[in-house]
Amino acid sequence: MTFEVVNKKVVRAQVSQQSPVLARRGAMLGYTGQVTFRPLSRSAGGGGAYGTGESASMMASEGSGSVLYGHKGLYVSVIELTGDSLTVEADRLLAYDASLQTSVEMIAQGGVRAAVRGVATGQGMYTTRISGHGSVAVLSHGGTFPLQITGETVGVDPQAYVGHVGALNVDLKASVGMRDLVGRGSGEAFQLHVSGHGTVYVQASEKRF
Amino acid sequence: MISGIDATVYDPRSLPSNDNVNAYAFCIDLDGEWFTSKGAMIAYYGSIEFSGVAAFASRAAWVAARFSSPLYAMEWVVAAGRGKLVIGDRGNDINSYDLDDGNLTIRQTNLLAFETGLELKQSIIPGFVTLLGTGKFLASSNGPVIFVEPPFRADPDALLGWADCPSPSVHYDYHWMAASLAAGVHSMFGRESGEERQYDFTGAGTVLLQSSEDVREDPALVRLVESHTFLLSAAAAGVLGHKLVARSQEG
Repeated sequence: MTFEVVNKKVVRAQVSQQSPVLARRGAMLGYTGQVTFRPLSRSAGGGGAYGTGESASMMASEGSGSVLYGHKGLYVSVIELTGDSLTVEADRLLAYDASLQTSVEMIAQGGVRAAVRGVATGQGMYTTRISGHGSVAVLSHGGTFPLQITGETVGVDPQAYVGHVGALNVDLKASVGMRDLVGRGSGEAFQLHVSGHGTVYVQASEKRF
Repeated sequence: MISGIDATVYDPRSLPSNDNVNAYAFCIDLDGEWFTSKGAMIAYYGSIEFSGVAAFASRAAWVAARFSSPLYAMEWVVAAGRGKLVIGDRGNDINSYDLDDGNLTIRQTNLLAFETGLELKQSIIPGFVTLLGTGKFLASSNGPVIFVEPPFRADPDALLGWADCPSPSVHYDYHWMAASLAAGVHSMFGRESGEERQYDFTGAGTVLLQSSEDVREDPALVRLVESHTFLLSAAAAGVLGHKLVARSQEG
C-alpha cells in the first residue's frame, strides 16, 4: 500500500488487517477508523539491533483505517521499493509497510575504513537496510532530492546524505590538508563518494540529524 | 538592488491588504483595533499603539465583553491605530480564517490575532480558547494545516483546533488500556507507543491539525492547572501541595 502525500511534512497511510504499518513512536498525528498502536520491543532493525545504536523506537499501527504521520515539522519523502533495498539511518524512518524486511548491518564491509566513515559522519558504524515491496516514508531537513547514478561517481556531503537505493558503493574520502587542521579549510574535508548503479537521496540541508 | 528568487521590496502601499506576505507572515490592514498575542508583531507602518489588554480595558469598556479570559489576559495586547501590521510566529506557517456567526476552538499558543468582532472565551479543554461571532483571525501552525472531518482521533499535540463539532473526549489506545488494566498503570513505564492518549471527535464539523506534534509551551500552564485546584477542599489542597513539594525536591 503506497503512502499518500498530504503535504511536504505529512503522509497518510491506509492500515488494514492484512497490511499494518510500522512507524516511529509518537509520530501519529491523527487517524480515522479502528486503529490501535502497539509499541514494539524490537527496533526498526530487528532483534539484533541492541547495542548498535541503530535502534529508533518503533510502534505498529494495526486495525483498519487511515493514519496521518509526521514528526517535528521535518520534511517527509516517500520512497517506493519494488524488490530493491533502501539503506538509511534508523532515526530517519517515519513509517514503512510492515511487509518490508529490515536488517541492521555494518556500514560497508570495509573494516577500519568503514569505522572511520561512521565516526566522521556521526552516523555510527551501523545502518538499516529495508527491502521488499512497499513504501517507506523518510524524514529530512528541507526535503530530499534523488541523484541517479549510472556508473559514475558522485560526491555527497556526509551531513546531507540521507540514504540510497540500489547496488551502490559508499566510500568516505578524506581530503584533510594543512588548512583543515588549522581550522581554515573549506568545511568539506570529508565527502562520501557514491558509485555504482542506483539512486542516492540527498537532503537540502547540512543540518545534522 | 537586490536580486534573487523572491526579492520583492515592499512599501506601505505594496504590502498585501489583509493577506499573507508569504507562508510565514501576514499583513493586517489596521484601522481601529485588533487583539494580537504578545510578540506576534514583527513589523508595522503607520501609527499603531500596542497596549496590554488590561491597560486598554481601563479606557475601553467593550474589551471586557470581548476578551473573556482572565487566564490569558497577560498574553495579549490590543493594537490600535491606522497602518500596516505584519504578524509572524518564529517561522511557523500562518493562515487567516473567517468566521461568519460561527464558533471555532483553537490552541491558545497558536492563536496570533483576532478582530474585535470576535469574542474570546476559554475552552473546557485546557490550553484551548474558543472564538465566537463574526470576523477574521490569524493562527500559526508547525507546517501546513490539515483539515479533516469527524469521526477522527487526533494526537493531542498535533491538534490545532476544531469548528462546529462537539468538544472532544479522550480515547485511550486499546493495547495500552488492556495492558494497564492487567498490570496497573504504574508498571507501564517504557511500554508506551507515545500514542496511548488521543482526542476523539464525533458529530459534524471540521478538525484542524498541524503537520507536526511539536507544541510551544503554554505560558499560562501553571495558572491553568492552579485554576482547577479550586475544586479541592482545603485539606485536599494541602495534601496535593505536599505531594508537589516532594516532587520538586526529587528533581
